[in-house]
Amino acid sequence: MSITGMRRTGTGLAVVGLLGMMFVFWLSFFWVSTEASQGVAQRIFYVHVPAAWTTFFAFGLCALTSAMYLWLRDERLDRAAVSAAEGGMIFGTIMLTTGPLWGRIAWGTYWTWEPRLTLTLLLWFIFLGYFMVRSSTENPEKGKRFAAVVAIVGALDIPFIHVSVLWFRSLHPQPVVVRPEDGPALPGDMLTLLLTSLAAFTVIFLGLFMLRYALEGLRRELDVRARKVAA
Amino acid sequence: MSLYLDQIRAIIWKDLLLELRTRERIAAMGAFAVLAGVLFNYSLDQARVAPQDVAAGLIWMTLVFGGLLGVGRTFYLEAQDGAMEGVLMSPAPKDAVYLGKTLANFALLFPVALLILGVFWLFFGLDLGSNPGILVLALGLGALGFVALSTLFAAVSSGTHMGETLLPILVFPLLVPMVVYGVGVTGRIMVGRPVEEVLGNVRLLAAFALVALAAGAVLFRFVVED
Repeated sequence: MSITGMRRTGTGLAVVGLLGMMFVFWLSFFWVSTEASQGVAQRIFYVHVPAAWTTFFAFGLCALTSAMYLWLRDERLDRAAVSAAEGGMIFGTIMLTTGPLWGRIAWGTYWTWEPRLTLTLLLWFIFLGYFMVRSSTENPEKGKRFAAVVAIVGALDIPFIHVSVLWFRSLHPQPVVVRPEDGPALPGDMLTLLLTSLAAFTVIFLGLFMLRYALEGLRRELDVRARKVAA
Repeated sequence: MSLYLDQIRAIIWKDLLLELRTRERIAAMGAFAVLAGVLFNYSLDQARVAPQDVAAGLIWMTLVFGGLLGVGRTFYLEAQDGAMEGVLMSPAPKDAVYLGKTLANFALLFPVALLILGVFWLFFGLDLGSNPGILVLALGLGALGFVALSTLFAAVSSGTHMGETLLPILVFPLLVPMVVYGVGVTGRIMVGRPVEEVLGNVRLLAAFALVALAAGAVLFRFVVED
């Protein structure tokens, strides 16, 4: 797809995603039934869980494209990796802010050293390192390679982080949708809303991802032209 | 295969010889270990907190901070006068260079880990518990995992203009599991729990070190290529 095509599709997806998100907000405030034990605070779930899902998807995409970049050295793979990583940081920040807001009401504390919280926080910092490495080299090629190494090692570290933090007793609600044995435990309307929200978040992410990817392509084109003029 | 091992050995020997002549890093790490013990002594109200209860965490924190001090400078001397290019142009494959440098760092850090254990034992009158051998094994595996990750990222950070400042930001999030496993072993052994209870943690420390070594050996070439 050309850069212009990417931009158009990205804009389209972002607009559709944002409209979808507004619909999700409307549904979660006025339509869905209130959860019995947690009350209205539970409604943040429809933002928190899709944000979490998108974060992990984005970081996974970044690690995968990073590994492929080191292997194939195709500029486009690095562009995809950095675009995914930025999306991951945004949605990760959403997850890390909505989680404590809910936790204050449901658990009585903003922060607790709970496995999923810890894992996300560490992931967020690993990707902070990703951007710091990227922007602190004189030679951009080098920064791309360094950042790819950070993303790959970060992805390899996740199983270890997961095992280590699991040993602390978990306060986090257990999965309610993907339960291999019993099937979803969520009432129908809540499940519908969750899946709608998941779709909206994913579409927004894809839209932002494509816009960001196109921007990175434009930057490169600008670079090439500036060099031509200079030469 | 034996050529490969010879190449690794040559790198280790070169690094250790450099260290033997300058004694910069080992002196810095050793002094840090003792001074950290002194500072911890004054930062703990020993009337309220028994050192025995918190020593496991302090030992591992000292190992991580002290280790960064030395490992962060792995590539410093060679970067100064372009000697690193010489090392990289040598016929040794890049992963042999990485493994050599990592093992040389381990040879420096492991004695420091033992020194930390000794210093804390001496300063706080620690009871080392049911099986000091397992403590040493856990510290050894922890030190190995630590140098495997931090040598790779020392190469990364020394290639940026932020230098060593960047190193803790890159490795601390990755080191969390190692510290959790390590403190799990140390803490439990020091309160006299049976060895069987910590074997799982020791295995995870070993797995962490192995994965870190393998990842470093594969990825190092992408860090140093130019």
